[in-house]
Amino acid sequence: MDPLLPHSPLTRRRLIGTGLGTVAASSAASVSAEALAQGSPAPSEAPAKPSTLTTAPVSQTGLSPRLTLHAIDNFHGTPGAGMVCDLAMHDGATYRPIKTITTAPTGRTTEPLLVDEAFKPGRYELVMHVQEYFAKFGVALPSPNFLSLVPIRFRIRDGSQRYHLPVLFTPWGYSYYRGS
Amino acid sequence: MAGITTHVLDTDRGHPAAGVRIDFSVLENGQWRLVKRVVTNADGRTDGPILPADKAAVGQYQLEFHVEPYFQARSGTNEADIFIDNPVVRFAIFDAKQHYHVPMLCTPSSFTTYRGS
Repeated sequence: MDPLLPHSPLTRRRLIGTGLGTVAASSAASVSAEALAQGSPAPSEAPAKPSTLTTAPVSQTGLSPRLTLHAIDNFHGTPGAGMVCDLAMHDGATYRPIKTITTAPTGRTTEPLLVDEAFKPGRYELVMHVQEYFAKFGVALPSPNFLSLVPIRFRIRDGSQRYHLPVLFTPWGYSYYRGS
Repeated sequence: MAGITTHVLDTDRGHPAAGVRIDFSVLENGQWRLVKRVVTNADGRTDGPILPADKAAVGQYQLEFHVEPYFQARSGTNEADIFIDNPVVRFAIFDAKQHYHVPMLCTPSSFTTYRGS
């Protein structure tokens, strides 16, 4: 049986109920070519369609110790732009929130997730709002979707090293690893 | 068959990950309640289903894989290379009539999960 059939698809009307209606209704042009070229911060209104891939990979060789993120949408074959992510650090008992960020049109963040004094060894959790991300683009999903809030847990052991965290995701699975 | 099953694979070595403890929890009233702890067998699976068909219900579920002790016990692993030590997968049963196979592929520095079959 098609898992999508018993569920009504996400419509603009339903998105309006979640405050995303205007986002879904806006055009793909909301991510301008200028924004892509400049790698400017994520727009307050996320694109209605994932942006076209126009940039080459970025090498971070030689940069100071830091934690960086790259969200990659393997469903659309695009950067994971406009993904809301909650970063938290384990304090011995629980994950304590540090900050919430939204990925830029490149699928990266405009600033490192952690750098300088904020970059410390420890156990971290990055919760990615995957269901909200795909709903925003009008992808028909079950309700609730198989994946909704995806916890990415990892450990920074050495504060003198640079840590890059690529996350490849679809509505049905994800992968992450220590990148470079 | 409905319910939940898993399969833990060490894709660094290309074999099942045996002896990995898995904590299975369900979301109840906004809190994760531990349902059971199981350990993978020689095939990287659990001897019984994580959640049997007669217990399957729509809801949010969590699998926590304690892979750090597994990697530490493995020969030739540098502990400093363990980037992912206790990955967690959270997913929904959105239709209790369907089966949810949730494999977990791991190395000390990478993790993959997906809805399998």
